[in-house]
Amino acid sequence: MQYDDKSRVEKAKKRAVVKQTEARNRVELFRHLPQYEHGTQLPDLETKFFELDPMHPAVYKVGLQYLSGDIRGGNARCIAMFQAFKEAIKDYSTPPEKTLIRDLTARISSYVSFLIECRPLSISMGNAIKFLKNRIAKLPLALSESEAKSTLMLDIDRFINEKIILSEKVIVKHAVTKIRDGDVLLTYGASSVVEMILLHAHELGKHFHVVVVDSRPKLEGQLLLRRLVRKGLSCTYTHVNAVSCIMQDVTRVFLGASSVLSNGTVYSRVGTACVAMVAHAFHVPVLVCCEAYKFHERVQLDSICFNELGNPDAISKVQGRKEINYLDGLVNQENLQLLNLIYDATPSDYVSMIITDYGMIPPTSVPVIVREYRRDHLWS
Amino acid sequence: MWWRSASFILDRQQHQNRTVAPSPESFLLSSPPPMADSPLNPKSNISAYYQTRAAHHAVVTTDWLAQAQAAVGRHSDDDGSLGGDKGAARIGGGGGGEEEGSGKAFSVIDEFNSWRKQPALAEAVAAIRALAAVIRTSGAATMMELEIELKKASDSLKSWDTTSISLTAGCDLFMLYVTRTSALEYEDFNSAKSRLIERAEKFGEISCKARRIIAMLSQDFFFDGCTILVHGFSRVVLEVLKTAAENKKHFRVLCTEGRPDRTGLRFSNELAKLDVPVKLLIDSAVAYTMDEVDVVLFGADGVVESGGIINMMGTFQIALVAHSMNKPVYVAAESYKFARHYPLDQKDMSPARRPIDFGVPIPSKVEVETSARDYTPPQYLTLLFTDLGVLTPSVISDELIQLYL
Repeated sequence: MQYDDKSRVEKAKKRAVVKQTEARNRVELFRHLPQYEHGTQLPDLETKFFELDPMHPAVYKVGLQYLSGDIRGGNARCIAMFQAFKEAIKDYSTPPEKTLIRDLTARISSYVSFLIECRPLSISMGNAIKFLKNRIAKLPLALSESEAKSTLMLDIDRFINEKIILSEKVIVKHAVTKIRDGDVLLTYGASSVVEMILLHAHELGKHFHVVVVDSRPKLEGQLLLRRLVRKGLSCTYTHVNAVSCIMQDVTRVFLGASSVLSNGTVYSRVGTACVAMVAHAFHVPVLVCCEAYKFHERVQLDSICFNELGNPDAISKVQGRKEINYLDGLVNQENLQLLNLIYDATPSDYVSMIITDYGMIPPTSVPVIVREYRRDHLWS
Repeated sequence: MWWRSASFILDRQQHQNRTVAPSPESFLLSSPPPMADSPLNPKSNISAYYQTRAAHHAVVTTDWLAQAQAAVGRHSDDDGSLGGDKGAARIGGGGGGEEEGSGKAFSVIDEFNSWRKQPALAEAVAAIRALAAVIRTSGAATMMELEIELKKASDSLKSWDTTSISLTAGCDLFMLYVTRTSALEYEDFNSAKSRLIERAEKFGEISCKARRIIAMLSQDFFFDGCTILVHGFSRVVLEVLKTAAENKKHFRVLCTEGRPDRTGLRFSNELAKLDVPVKLLIDSAVAYTMDEVDVVLFGADGVVESGGIINMMGTFQIALVAHSMNKPVYVAAESYKFARHYPLDQKDMSPARRPIDFGVPIPSKVEVETSARDYTPPQYLTLLFTDLGVLTPSVISDELIQLYL
């Protein structure tokens, strides 16, 4: 939904469970994306916990976790959402005068709109929901309710296992062949797959050095750094403004992705495009590691038409540094607009290779994978 | 700050493991072919693939012939030994491949070597013929057993020369075909076996047909009066130019010398037989003559997943110069050369070394870069002529995905 269409926004607000107040100073270019005041919804939602009839508590819990930022990362969000849906399906019973398929689909759709209100869906979650709705629609009518429910739960388990867990293992296996002794590997942010690759390569006894590049306001790289240092890898930590200084010593760049689009564009955490472009300028190969279920048929040419806006206060304040208060009192002025983008799009020219569970492919082959494997797998 | 870069560290490590540079009095084939003794390639850091290529298109000198004759006299009952001429090798190798003089069990490596000696035969086809021979002589009673035997033979072939991409690709293709057809096991074992052997034989024909298809497809890209630059001795490129000459096209060929294999000399020899005007250049003169060139044409040892090619040392250089001067670069390669490698840079492949003879003694402190091949990334290639059609580099991955997955 485009959020600059006033009538639709009004309608959506009436149906909403989460009461969002819109942010006041919004950047004109991003008016089509939802931007809300952060920190105002949680207390309200917590009090409503015992009143929610149509909402399953597991889904509610996951929604709150998204809202507060406890769960982050494409794979984690997808798995958490699916676990919640499994609970909901387990407790589901068909109301009288209704068919399982239609009612369950409507139920799932309402859960999904709640989750969207808490935090807009990532592309991986979107693909997963499409898969689930597809499986529900394909249930044979002759199945009893309990059989249908257990089939669905098995399908969800299989999806999580094959598309997320096993495919991570395959990606790690391929990626580790591209790490040689003496390499200096650079990574940005905290991608679960890249972390597994580095740890596995270290276990195999390869000698390499890791540079973790981080950026405000999320500072996700510190999480990755902790885990790597604890396992004994030698690491360097820096922020994204120093990436052009450090790039001359780097031999490979490993990046994670939220999604890879049909024209080879990598849609990932904001700052990834920057790192990829600097690497390209220094002739350092950029390897993007992404599971195949995150591929999408959409084509995006810039980072504007589809994105997510985060909390603007996060960029005007620095956590733990009360003395950096230069923007206090100015936030509500008309001529100041704070923009906190969450994602950006890296054009395919800056990506050397995409490592997926189908192997190592060039960015131009993403539509081939989408074409060949969506058809005969669990999607069609 | 190259002394801090990773590639320098890698080079230093490899240098410490390298063998010494060859002595100057040996000519092109400084040692007898490594397969004379054991199934394992003893000089593992010298690429057997490039040794064979040198043998195929080497300029034969009298000392070499004398060496060869002496070797034949010594190892007369050893199959796979070098013959003075290729005809003897074919007969001796073919016969020796079936039963060994020393009474060992059938060895796929020896069979492969005997096929490999034929200059017109591509590596992948030789591999497939060797695997067909494995099927013929196998004692397996079920499809599963046969598959296991074939897998073992294919692995031993691949590990014998890890540098040859078309060998690996050929083995993989055949194994893929075997495992796919065994799924339709409604017939009895013997007919399935004979079908596999038939397919392997057909593959050899496909290889020759592939060259003709490529030659036909590429004719539209050469106009009358064009100047073509070639590098390396590719049998496919030779076929392309032969067909163009037969079609009465007027064109001129510039041929690089191709040190250290001197492929240019041999290639210009062949072209002169076709009455095509040919001009030899030293390798360093490519940029100098590039503005006279209309089309650059290469063969390929292997085509990789990114759409780039692996070819004789010097290809990348020429492609770079051509790209910067806006000349089209065409590659002629058969489809069985497509491999699932994906090199990120020049050093990302397994090294293939060739001893280089400079003609004068080199002091032992001086290192020599002996790699025989380089990787040309896809952005410097314009089109690839294959038996699947005229393709752009990005289609290679598409074909590979459809073939292997």
